[in-house]
Amino acid sequence: MIEHIGPQLFNGLVLGAFYAIVAIGLSLIMNLTGTINMAHGSFMTLAGYLAFTLVSRGTPFWFALIAAPLILVVVGVVVERTLVRPLYKREPFYSLLMTFGLSLMAEEIYRLIWGPNGVPFSPPKALAGAAHLGFMSFPTFRIFIAVVLVVAIAALALFLTRTRFGLRLRAAVQDTEMIAALGTNTQVIYAVNFGLGIFLAGIAGVLAAGMLGLSPTSGNALLMPAFVTVIIGGMGSLFGSVVGGVLIGMAISLTTLFIPAASEVSMYVLMAVVLLVRPRGLFGEEGIFG
Amino acid sequence: MSDGPAAVPSAEPLLALDGVCTNYGKIRILRDVSLTVGEGEVVALLGLNGAGKTTTMRSILGLTPPRAGTVRYAGQNVTGWPAYKIARLGVGYVPEGRRMFKDLSTLENLQLAENGRSGAWTIQRVFEHLPKLSELRARKSGRLSGGEQEMLSIGRALVANPRLLLVDEPSQGLAPLVVEEVYRILAELKKTGVAILLVEQNALLALRIADRAYVLDGGRVVHAGPAAELAADRDRIRMLMGLEVAT
Repeated sequence: MIEHIGPQLFNGLVLGAFYAIVAIGLSLIMNLTGTINMAHGSFMTLAGYLAFTLVSRGTPFWFALIAAPLILVVVGVVVERTLVRPLYKREPFYSLLMTFGLSLMAEEIYRLIWGPNGVPFSPPKALAGAAHLGFMSFPTFRIFIAVVLVVAIAALALFLTRTRFGLRLRAAVQDTEMIAALGTNTQVIYAVNFGLGIFLAGIAGVLAAGMLGLSPTSGNALLMPAFVTVIIGGMGSLFGSVVGGVLIGMAISLTTLFIPAASEVSMYVLMAVVLLVRPRGLFGEEGIFG
Repeated sequence: MSDGPAAVPSAEPLLALDGVCTNYGKIRILRDVSLTVGEGEVVALLGLNGAGKTTTMRSILGLTPPRAGTVRYAGQNVTGWPAYKIARLGVGYVPEGRRMFKDLSTLENLQLAENGRSGAWTIQRVFEHLPKLSELRARKSGRLSGGEQEMLSIGRALVANPRLLLVDEPSQGLAPLVVEEVYRILAELKKTGVAILLVEQNALLALRIADRAYVLDGGRVVHAGPAAELAADRDRIRMLMGLEVAT
């Protein structure tokens, strides 16, 4: 049993990185506009299918890993401009319902196009097999996933803290009206911000398809843990999402090892404990609900 | 000081509101407000709490677009324009309560205002004029004192090289000495030729640097005239604003 702990912890990290990147995408969108994007999982699924279609037509996996999220961003921005934007002035409930409906529609559309069952989507040969790390061996593809997700999160952090646009975005989260009064077109900020969140979902979607399988509902399986991640990490805190994601990943992996039947419930237990001690989550400050 | 002659109105003033009516939801706040601000002129907008002073500013900037009437600025009809477009034409906003981006540093607050309008004001020049801000450039603006925040709010508006500054209640919540400092800065700005529309509950304070004054009551303009005249007529101020005025 003990010899499994190392690999399982690493599994937890990879899983946690998935939760974190999905949670960050959700948070970006929620923090700026209050939109709870219930279609986030469906966007991930679409990225997986786009990559699957590209690869099955002979496109290299590496290209699909970048191209599929970029195509997804175009879809995402069109959805934001046409469906989400008109609801910004209403209560968050409206956009929640709209995106929920959108995800139901998307699921059916995926079924029509790619069939009701899972499709085989495997990582390229170069990433197949296992890497021997000395004290344990571990699937190469999972190491690759961990690296890509960490790079993506770091790149986002740099974008938000080191660029002019990132500065405006952070300011807009605090006071949208004042940033407009200083001459910034907030509609551009809304669209780019939504696109950013969707791009992260796209990267996660392609990688998750290779690791966890691809079916019309596969992305939604990551959505609930991502919401729990946001709550544990603290609403409004992107760093909190990273910590929350890793904690949940670890909790799920370790309970899978010791009490498999409880693996699903472990994240909710973790959430309950965190909320008892810190009602706003680990790094939550004011929070969007006051 | 308001001793000098009022700026001569040119063919078209820099800012002109004509018959502006503005609602919040179904509640009408402004009723047929007309006023002008000339190039380089300082105009005080006075009145009690709830008279519609802040709403007038929000209507000018497009934050709460008017339901009726027109807002003309620099020769263009800007009624109904989005706020960012009006701001980019050179309308600076120093809002009530300063509205800092609290999690961002002093320097970052200033950088946000750089919107491509070139002119004499740069972040460097703001730091030279307000050296206190330079010292505090790395500090989060939420941790500045009220007076420091007011100066940062003014500096932030200046970075965009405005032709017109909308300044809302700059003395609110500040200690008397700090208020003196803020008004000294506003008086200096006046000399640089920027036009200022100044909202203030403390009438005498605003009248000290204003050329002309409007008084709002219940969303209507109830008085318009030279600032010096109004400042000299304490009874009139009392009557218009229902306030006991400290002398």
